[in-house]
Amino acid sequence: MVNEYFTLHSYGGTLEYYLFELANFSALAFFAMFLYKLNYINSNSLLAWLAIFFAPLVFNYFLFSPLLFGDQFRYAAEAMYQKSSGSSLDFLSASGFKEPAIQLTAKILGVTPLPNYMTVTSLAFANMFFLFVTFLWFKRFFSNENEVLLYFLIPSLILFASVSLRDLLIIVISVLFIINLIRDRYIYAAVFLFPLLVLKIQMFAFLLLYLVARLFFRAHKNHYLFTFFVLGVMIGGVIMEEQILEVLNLYRLAFVAENFVAFDGSISYLAWNEYGGDSAKALELASLGDAAYNAILKLPIFFIMPLPWNWSNIFYPLQSFESWLLIYLYVRLAMKQNLYKNSEFILLTFILLIGSSIYALLMENEGTFVRYRFTLFYPFLLAAFYLSSASHKSLKK
Amino acid sequence: MSILKKFNIKEKISISLEFFNELVFVKRSLYALGASLLFSFFIVQSSTPFFFVSSSLMDADTSSSSAPMDMGGAATALFGGAERSKPADEFRSNMNSYLLAQRMWNKGWGSKIFGNGDMNEEYFNKIPKSHTLIDRVVAFISGYDLYDYFTAYDLQGHIQDTIAVNQPLGNPNIVLSTKTKSKDFAIEFMNAVILETDQYAKERLISKSNEIIKATYTQLAVSKNSMIASALASTINSEYFKIANLENNLPHLLDLIDPPHSSEYPVAPKVSAIFLSSAIIFLFASILFSFIQKNKEDLW
Repeated sequence: MVNEYFTLHSYGGTLEYYLFELANFSALAFFAMFLYKLNYINSNSLLAWLAIFFAPLVFNYFLFSPLLFGDQFRYAAEAMYQKSSGSSLDFLSASGFKEPAIQLTAKILGVTPLPNYMTVTSLAFANMFFLFVTFLWFKRFFSNENEVLLYFLIPSLILFASVSLRDLLIIVISVLFIINLIRDRYIYAAVFLFPLLVLKIQMFAFLLLYLVARLFFRAHKNHYLFTFFVLGVMIGGVIMEEQILEVLNLYRLAFVAENFVAFDGSISYLAWNEYGGDSAKALELASLGDAAYNAILKLPIFFIMPLPWNWSNIFYPLQSFESWLLIYLYVRLAMKQNLYKNSEFILLTFILLIGSSIYALLMENEGTFVRYRFTLFYPFLLAAFYLSSASHKSLKK
Repeated sequence: MSILKKFNIKEKISISLEFFNELVFVKRSLYALGASLLFSFFIVQSSTPFFFVSSSLMDADTSSSSAPMDMGGAATALFGGAERSKPADEFRSNMNSYLLAQRMWNKGWGSKIFGNGDMNEEYFNKIPKSHTLIDRVVAFISGYDLYDYFTAYDLQGHIQDTIAVNQPLGNPNIVLSTKTKSKDFAIEFMNAVILETDQYAKERLISKSNEIIKATYTQLAVSKNSMIASALASTINSEYFKIANLENNLPHLLDLIDPPHSSEYPVAPKVSAIFLSSAIIFLFASILFSFIQKNKEDLW
């Protein structure tokens, strides 16, 4: 057959759509009920998770069109194609190259034992399954399950788990990596780090730095070793300045170009290529000092955006409120039991600040960077929460 | 042995068996499965099967096709070079144009799609167009008129909405595809769109060449410089050559490698998935009902 070509039939909003996705919901809800019966979760968790599992049906086609997160169709098409043919659709990125992140996401999410993968939101239920399993794994470090549950009721977390994108997978893998690293399980941590190289190279870089800090510098042991690590990072930065700036400048330019709108209404890379080239020089970071200065200026905005004057839909005020809440939770954890004096916590916060500073430098599109911020911040928040647990303290004694 | 003790496997198995015996392996589940069968039959009966109709085309002049340049990642996008196959783009633009829709309209395709298929021009230029009540109210309040009849613009929208033009990665072919309830009509329509698009592209180029020849002759008549006269003559020759190439029955933009054809079975809805999903939902509803009955004190 010369022209057998796959197109996604999404069943968008039809009766069949609700039938297929209610079946997926039923499977997850049955799993939760079974675990409740086995006393793995309490009644609060059961009720909360039944509500969370229902979220993809509330968000997609009901609260907003799935086209708002248009990439969902690419992930869904890839997953369906992999399941039906065993091969990949080979999506092209804007730069004309294959996107292995979509393939890997579809492969990982596709192993979830769901009844069907028929619609565009099926992968959202796979995301839900991964989130639930992470909750089951994470809660065993705590005596109070309800407290853990609250950390899994953060709106952005539920939103990203309710769409067929890779963000939730990145969050889950990052959480598994960081907690295993803190528990000194380096092999497990390395195994979880590897998929991030494909799924989100920025997260891979930040977490690799954390691994290096712990494994080679032992920066989590005491303040002197931490200072030695910081000095090492600074010296390494000076030695590699040219290469670091090259990467930073390329990404800065790429994000500006992606969001570029020309006077004639043309947008993105093509418009930038045509009209925006002259402003490229102004965006260039001249030195690491320049980069650090810019990062410090932009970091507060990065943490609290979207700012009120940029609110353009109902999600923006909610995300703004949530960003304050997340900062409050992190600071509260730091103050609780004097965690801010803990070397492990200091190192964790340092890596979070490095990651946030780099994102602040690249920050352009509000929607994209609110998503990036949450993907980065949430695993570190859970890690800080873990550091405050009795389980961690008993492990370290 | 210690692992079994740690996880208390025996007790867990006993609780699991109790769970299944109490909630799953009960009469109510059988009733639920029976109800799901009836529901599935109803859904399958009321849903419309969609067939996949597709066709493969290939660049008629492969020598002129341009492969994407290998410049590397974001740099390609930022600094240019992500050039796509030109005949495919040209074909897509022509296919989605109003002028093509107008040509198709004049051949009566509007009547076949929006009317009863009557090829009488007086009929198909007056096919009444219905509007929703909301559209009419909005038009009345805002003070604009809605069209009373279907036009070539509606046909243009129909072509754009229903026929997708794709070029799969690593495949030199351009694939036209559509999902349709009526496969025979879709095959006929797609075939007509392909041929008309190519014909339209040819006629447009012939007309362009004729205009260039006309203007060049005018310039040649007043030209005093022999070098300029020679260049103008060469342009005229080249345009005549183009016209000779276009005034034949061969395809201009794309060769029809695989004529439009339909999938044997419908691509949607998937009947087995409907039965499975429906069974799971009904079974779960039955389990949930029993579960709430037995655990309502613990849950609330």
